[in-house]
Amino acid sequence: MAIKFERVSYQYQGHDEKAYLALSDINVNIEKTGEFITLIGETGSGKTTLVQHMNALLQPSEGRVHIFGLKIDRNTKKEGKVKLNPIRKKVGLVFQFPEYQLFEETVEKDIMFGPKNFGISQKKALELAKRMIKVVGLDESYLSRSPFNLSGGEKKRVSIAGILAMEPDILILDEPTSGLDPIGRNALLKVFYDIHKTLNKTVIIITHDMNTVYEYAKRVLVMREGVLVFDGSPLALFSRKNIENWNLDIPDIVKLKTALSEKFNINIEDSPRSREALFKSIKAVIKP
Amino acid sequence: MKNIVIGRYIPGNGFLYKLDPRTKILAMLILMIATFVINNITYMVVAIGLIIVILLFSRISIKRVYLGLRPLMFLLIFTFTFQIIFNQQGELLQAWPIYYSFLTLGLGAALVLTWGFTKKFVRFKLLYFLLLLVGLGAVFTNLDTYYVFAQGHLRIYSEGLSMSLFIMMRLIIVVTLSTMLTITTKPTDLNLGLEYVLAPLKIIRVNAEEIAMIISISLRYIPTLLDEANKIMMAQASRGVDFQEGKFKEKIMQIVSLLVPMFIISFKRSDELANAMEARSFVPGRARTRLHVLTWKRMDIFVLTISLSLLTLSIVLRVMA
Ligand SMILES: Nc1ncnc2c1ncn2[C@@H]1O[C@H](COP(=O)(O)OP(=O)(O)OP(=O)(O)O)[C@@H](O)[C@H]1O
Ligand SMILES: [Mg+2]
Repeated sequence: MAIKFERVSYQYQGHDEKAYLALSDINVNIEKTGEFITLIGETGSGKTTLVQHMNALLQPSEGRVHIFGLKIDRNTKKEGKVKLNPIRKKVGLVFQFPEYQLFEETVEKDIMFGPKNFGISQKKALELAKRMIKVVGLDESYLSRSPFNLSGGEKKRVSIAGILAMEPDILILDEPTSGLDPIGRNALLKVFYDIHKTLNKTVIIITHDMNTVYEYAKRVLVMREGVLVFDGSPLALFSRKNIENWNLDIPDIVKLKTALSEKFNINIEDSPRSREALFKSIKAVIKP
Repeated sequence: MKNIVIGRYIPGNGFLYKLDPRTKILAMLILMIATFVINNITYMVVAIGLIIVILLFSRISIKRVYLGLRPLMFLLIFTFTFQIIFNQQGELLQAWPIYYSFLTLGLGAALVLTWGFTKKFVRFKLLYFLLLLVGLGAVFTNLDTYYVFAQGHLRIYSEGLSMSLFIMMRLIIVVTLSTMLTITTKPTDLNLGLEYVLAPLKIIRVNAEEIAMIISISLRYIPTLLDEANKIMMAQASRGVDFQEGKFKEKIMQIVSLLVPMFIISFKRSDELANAMEARSFVPGRARTRLHVLTWKRMDIFVLTISLSLLTLSIVLRVMA
């Protein structure tokens, strides 16, 4: 097991002496390989806080997080025995807002920054930059541009490339597709899915898009007010009743399937996850 | 970072919260002037005592104010030491010989190194630092054996001692007073209060409203920027920047990786803020109507009278002395 949360709670120390409980009593296990997880939940439910525990950027106020065999708890930072930096090489986290990390003069240098911090040679880092900029759907001409003159979506892609270039074992993305056009969004999701498929890496994506969840995820975690309320497959999640209580929407495909059955009496037995699969199933039903 | 209290409003309901912002600003200024008028250690101690009483009375936690002072502690100790060593006025109180020998220099260096390596395990860092200073003093003034190649003197003069005490206490009082003001006053109220207090500047064609706006926006944005810095440090830490460690060259890189996004974000923020203000028809310098009209209450007059009497008292005491 790569990451294991044991009764983890986290409090933000607010400006007014009050502490804000952002996570309470979280227990979850994440495997080293082969997982494709989406993390969902309404705004402010603690998703970002949760993933920031996964590479030890935050340390729990209560409980423990085990990351690749290292125990992280409230005393970890004070004792200074556990080196946190190597954890960040293994668990790569792309932040929600790219503005917080872009700082170099050129995109190329910015992508190379992470790998070089982890002791990868200049030459290898340059190769990685050239490869990753294409992986995230931009061409090499971007490498010489300043990261500050890019559009929001382009910045987002560059910041993703910066983490991909670190070649982490586990990849975590905090709302990677927000602010992207639909085509770009799907392309990028394919990229993450390919990384997961070809390298058998564990990928965790925070998203508000239920279609992404339904189509790609093998496993869904649902957060609500700091509590992990669901951990299971997307099929199990969306066949539950009352998921509106968790402020979640129904994926388009599920909606369509229900509508077909209610309005046209077309009943599809299996559970198609993508648009193409749904068309196939419909065809199979109406043309026996 | 979270501990920096300067410029942060903390909701509460002590009596300072209920005062008119103008009263608080004026009273703060008056009391600050008073602390610069006082030139007698006893009165200074009384002044600090008074401030503590006000703090207790207004239910601001002293811990909070102490946390605000803490970042300044090293500055305080530095000025204190500097004054005491280099100010040579007044009568000589005490003199120690200083021995420079291989033994003292070696031991001194060893002490500094041990302090540097062990300080991260010690809870009371300030006390530990003071201990270091005392240790260094003890080593250099007592060990006169093993090839002393030079000898100097550490002389403490009355003027130096009192000046350094005064500077320290004044700094503490000034910072505490301004922390009390910003803790108990909402930024909007502070702005309003400043506008009134600075209004007389109109005579010399300075636009008080603009200045007030600038000051209060700056104060308002200190905590926000600190939060931003925290987020940036986390984002860079996830790319392998280890802010805890690193050699000199790496340290510079770390600071750059923090400062550049910081500047970009601040510029963007101020740009957005300016647009937002303009979108709501804010025109600099044009007269605006007020949502909250400030009114003096009995309490305000009482507080102002007290502060003015304290100022008068300190002037009288100084003139009489
Ligand atoms: N630095 C902070 N100080 C105090 N409270 C915070 C801080 N960061 C987050 N919080 C609070 O903790 C809660 C959880 O925040 P978090 O960022 O984890 O939410 P989220 O699920 O990622 O939301 P979103 O979908 O908007 O990104 C929120 O209510 C937020 O107000
Ligand atoms: Mg978030």
